[in-house]
Amino acid sequence: MATATAALHRIRGSSLIDAIGLLILGLVVIWVVVKFAQDPTRFLNVTVLGARNGAIYGLVALGYTLVYGILQLINFAHGDVFALSGLVASTMIISVFGLDTTTGVLLIVIGLVGTLAVTIPLFAVVNATIERIAYKPLRNAPRLAPLITAVGVSFIVQNISLALYGVDFESVPNFIPRTDAVEIGGVGIGWNTIAVFLIVIPVLLVLTWFVRSTRQGKAMRAVAQDREASAMMGIDVNRTISVTFVIAGGLAAVAGLVYLLQFNIRYDTGFQLGLIAFTAAVLGGIGNLTGAVLGALMIGMVEAWNEGLDGTPGGDWTRSMIFGILIATLVFRPQGILGERTPEGA
Amino acid sequence: MTAKKSVLAALGLLIAALALVATGCGGDDDGGGEVTALPSSSCTGLEYEGEGDPDYLIATDFPMQGSSRTQTEQIVAAVRFELEQRGWKAGDYNIALQVCDDATAQAAKWDSAKCSQNGNAYAANDAVVGVIGTFNSGCAAIIIPLLNEAPDGGIAMMSPANTYPCLTVNLPGGCDASEPAKYYPTGNRNYARVAPADDYQGAFVAEFMQKQGIKSVYILNDKEAYGLGIATTTRKAAEHVGIEVAGFEAWDPKASSYEALMRKIQGTNADAVFLGGLIDENGAQVIKDKVAVLGPNDGDVKLLAPDGFTTQATIDEAGGAARGMFMSVAGVPIDAFTGTAAEYVQQLQEGPLAGKPIDPYAIYGAQSAQIVLDAIAASDGSREDIIAKMFETEVENGLLGDFGFNENGDPTNASGAVVGFTMYVATDKLETSDNFSPKPENVTAAGA
Amino acid sequence: MSEALSRQVQRARTDKSWWVAGALIALGLAYPFIVDPLRDLPLIGDFVPGVSSMVVMMIFTTMALGLNVVVGYAGLLDLGYVAFYAAGAYVAGWLASLHFEDITFHLGSAVSGDLPGIHFNMWLVLVLAGCFTTLVGIVIGLPTLRLRGDYLAIVTLGFGEIVPQFVRNADSVGGFDLTGGTFGIAPIDSLAIGGVVFRQESNKDDLYYWAAIGLVLFTVFCCIRLRDSRLGRAWVAIREDETAAAAMGVPLMRTKTWSYAIGAFFGGVAGAFFASYRAGAFPADFFFQFSVFLLCMVILGGMGSIWGVLAGALILSYLDREGLSTIGSKIQEGGLDFDPTKYQFGIYGLIIVVMMLLRPTGLIPERRHKIELEEGVHDTPFYDVQTEGAMTDRDRSDD
Repeated sequence: MATATAALHRIRGSSLIDAIGLLILGLVVIWVVVKFAQDPTRFLNVTVLGARNGAIYGLVALGYTLVYGILQLINFAHGDVFALSGLVASTMIISVFGLDTTTGVLLIVIGLVGTLAVTIPLFAVVNATIERIAYKPLRNAPRLAPLITAVGVSFIVQNISLALYGVDFESVPNFIPRTDAVEIGGVGIGWNTIAVFLIVIPVLLVLTWFVRSTRQGKAMRAVAQDREASAMMGIDVNRTISVTFVIAGGLAAVAGLVYLLQFNIRYDTGFQLGLIAFTAAVLGGIGNLTGAVLGALMIGMVEAWNEGLDGTPGGDWTRSMIFGILIATLVFRPQGILGERTPEGA
Repeated sequence: MTAKKSVLAALGLLIAALALVATGCGGDDDGGGEVTALPSSSCTGLEYEGEGDPDYLIATDFPMQGSSRTQTEQIVAAVRFELEQRGWKAGDYNIALQVCDDATAQAAKWDSAKCSQNGNAYAANDAVVGVIGTFNSGCAAIIIPLLNEAPDGGIAMMSPANTYPCLTVNLPGGCDASEPAKYYPTGNRNYARVAPADDYQGAFVAEFMQKQGIKSVYILNDKEAYGLGIATTTRKAAEHVGIEVAGFEAWDPKASSYEALMRKIQGTNADAVFLGGLIDENGAQVIKDKVAVLGPNDGDVKLLAPDGFTTQATIDEAGGAARGMFMSVAGVPIDAFTGTAAEYVQQLQEGPLAGKPIDPYAIYGAQSAQIVLDAIAASDGSREDIIAKMFETEVENGLLGDFGFNENGDPTNASGAVVGFTMYVATDKLETSDNFSPKPENVTAAGA
Repeated sequence: MSEALSRQVQRARTDKSWWVAGALIALGLAYPFIVDPLRDLPLIGDFVPGVSSMVVMMIFTTMALGLNVVVGYAGLLDLGYVAFYAAGAYVAGWLASLHFEDITFHLGSAVSGDLPGIHFNMWLVLVLAGCFTTLVGIVIGLPTLRLRGDYLAIVTLGFGEIVPQFVRNADSVGGFDLTGGTFGIAPIDSLAIGGVVFRQESNKDDLYYWAAIGLVLFTVFCCIRLRDSRLGRAWVAIREDETAAAAMGVPLMRTKTWSYAIGAFFGGVAGAFFASYRAGAFPADFFFQFSVFLLCMVILGGMGSIWGVLAGALILSYLDREGLSTIGSKIQEGGLDFDPTKYQFGIYGLIIVVMMLLRPTGLIPERRHKIELEEGVHDTPFYDVQTEGAMTDRDRSDD
């Protein structure tokens, strides 16, 4: 009997929670439609900006979601690895390749590709090293141990950035013009926005293909589902996990460069951005690659709407709203938008 | 249990041993009257090069890290220079100096925890009779009440740079009803400043905007004491001179981009943006995004900022985006100082600041030091009397011209540099664009 | 389990270590009288903390002990403990300052009667702040404690970020100034006994120090009693094996919520105490790093171990207040340009990682915890992918 009442109680409780969640969601949708109707031009302009920022967050979110998918570990340090990679990229661009606004297009492209050629392998190795040193010994420890360690690693990486680059913001000149490439009825899409999407979409596609169709990707999914069974099937679990961290580190390096091309970056950028990206990953359904980018786009748009439209709480509430979304997602729909109840590799 | 016991026992033994040694050494204490240094967590060591032992201690309290460092280092150098000139004496008293930092390395700007830690340290140290600082009004708001409640009548505090009006006077509409009373819990005043409050700077900015033909301005602020204060006074003065205020809101220093915000400003058709805040608060990104969305600063939409931005660091960090931006600062340009001040600038250039371009704040720092040291010299040596003498100060032909202090601690009957303002325009460096004193009626309007 | 515990209690009662503890307390109380000669000692004198640092160290210790109830006893990772510190500090601001200047209400306060604002007796404010944060803890806990451990950590982190942002931005909630924005609330009233207002006395730090010692002793007492109580055993049971605990009739949600609430209580009291000592509550003080700083104290000392956390908290808060800067000045005197205070959070991060890898039980391990870590637990291990209810424990019955 007790079980039956408990079950009833549970069903009623969760349907109430779902109802509240749906109500909130409905109100948000109505609000967005009203705002669009009031001033379509500005709404679209602001949305484009939000989508661009969201796409950049998405690159960082992919790194969280990959690692979570395979290890169920929130790799706190990912945001800080991303920030450090951006800082290193600024050194590469300014000091090593000496690019500035007067450099020709071809040289800029060579310089940026050259920067990636250095930062991607570098941070792939850094990330894999972090896994080897800090997380691997804790595979059989209680669940929270690696998470606590990840927080510690995050602080260490952040302080390495601080030691190397100090507290000042680093930035590079606008290599990709921020002027509008396309303008339709007052709605402008900047060259930089196009560039960001030209990077993010292929990265997402390649990554999805990799996880779905390659041998290594299949191994990743297998390890994510059942580590022991995969080992029995002859999959090298340690190597697979290392590969995941290598990919995540490479993604962090790409994200670092893309972020640097738009914004200022400094030693603690990774913490804030990491939390935003992590929220995006949770919102999209953690462990789900498309979900991470989708969640990030939504976060970016919410942020831009809040800052760029009238009648909103305004920019100083943005971060509170993002964490509010995080908490609401975890309470109302912990599996996220695209996630299934069981997180798997892709 | 055994681990616990042994650790406890070890701790007990250690402390007992320490206590034994302590009582053994207790006799070596060479008597009272000696100046104890402020804690090393915020302050550099005790500086004293005079004869005998110091009787008293004055502290400087500035952010010694971050973008304002160039300015604060010059202020401290000027204070030290002033003490050297006087042989580390104020009247009959030997004065030592400690340079304290209210910034943290991680934040690279002033930090509320550091400010209250410093304030408590000054209040707890009997030898501290004067504090020269702070640079940031928000930090002053924390330290003033702590010094006010210090034993023996409070500690005198003199700021060369605080401009938030409500620290000293209640501007109806601009301040909370409990300001400034809440900064002085004992009811007695202990704080004065040589910098003109932001009702002056706000009026100056508004008049300058009027001269530029600006019709409508969008005012942003960082929500901090200084930024919000200057934004509010500028808004009022602008409204008074007939400039429409298209919007007034905060920017979040931790955001990564402000383009959406600039789109919102674009929607209001404002022809100027004013940034009430500090360059340390992601100001460079704000400037870049302003230019990206609203066009260059010498184009249709002008960009103005107060003295929180007026430093070479702004131009260096924002790169080309700063070009054409207007930045104001209290005081006249360093090459426009005359008389005593010009000679002093000469001395600084030959002395401690050789080879550096002298920042106007150095002169404000020196003036603050002179007032505090003169007050100590004229006093009977008690904290209470030093404060009284500080308020009685009448500066004639001083570094900042002629002025005294009213009962609030603001400069009064002023003429000369103390009420003048300069507007710089950014090229690859700061170039003087204009220099005048705001009209009294606009100052009143800014404060009303 | 209960047999072992009662044996432990019995042993503790008769244990001679209580004499040592008594001597330590006496020495602690006498510290303000011996600090000056101690500071004159050669070599180690520079490393002796001043009384004002000791006050803050005691406050941080209280917070660490409170966090230990959540992390150490119940095994719930809280990455947003700073939210409770903030809540406590702001309660002190609301109930003992000029902030609500339109209201004049005094209740046993030491400040003069015509001062505007709400002024409760500061000791009462400490209790009220504790009660308020307990409520905050329950409100935060109820919807989130059903989440799995790592998700719970993230949610607490979210709250730890939201609360400081809220107090920073809530200077105009529908036009009402609730928190004073970035200005914070200052000045906050001083503690006072009879007519003696601590802040106006020349030995202010000593008075606050003795009060802080009282706070720590009270907290330690509560922690010992809680650990040995029915609730404390329920926490340990949940920490070791949630499913088994539930099967044995431990109400999961209620027990977890209590740990959250009680942990919050100490955070609130300490926050209010700190606000009173430094005479203000400012939003910039409440940042994520501080939560991790406290967590580091717990991990260094040993999760769940009162004496360990006490030691960990004293060591780290000493480093934070004076130690690192003293060491830094020694290094700089030695001609090396290195400032350890700049990298303090990196140092704490390093301590966390090293401890987790090499000695996860901490400096002074708690016995049970040590067994758990050495012999393994029946808790769902980290690597095990859960097949159902992967994200939440929603499916688990509460009653």
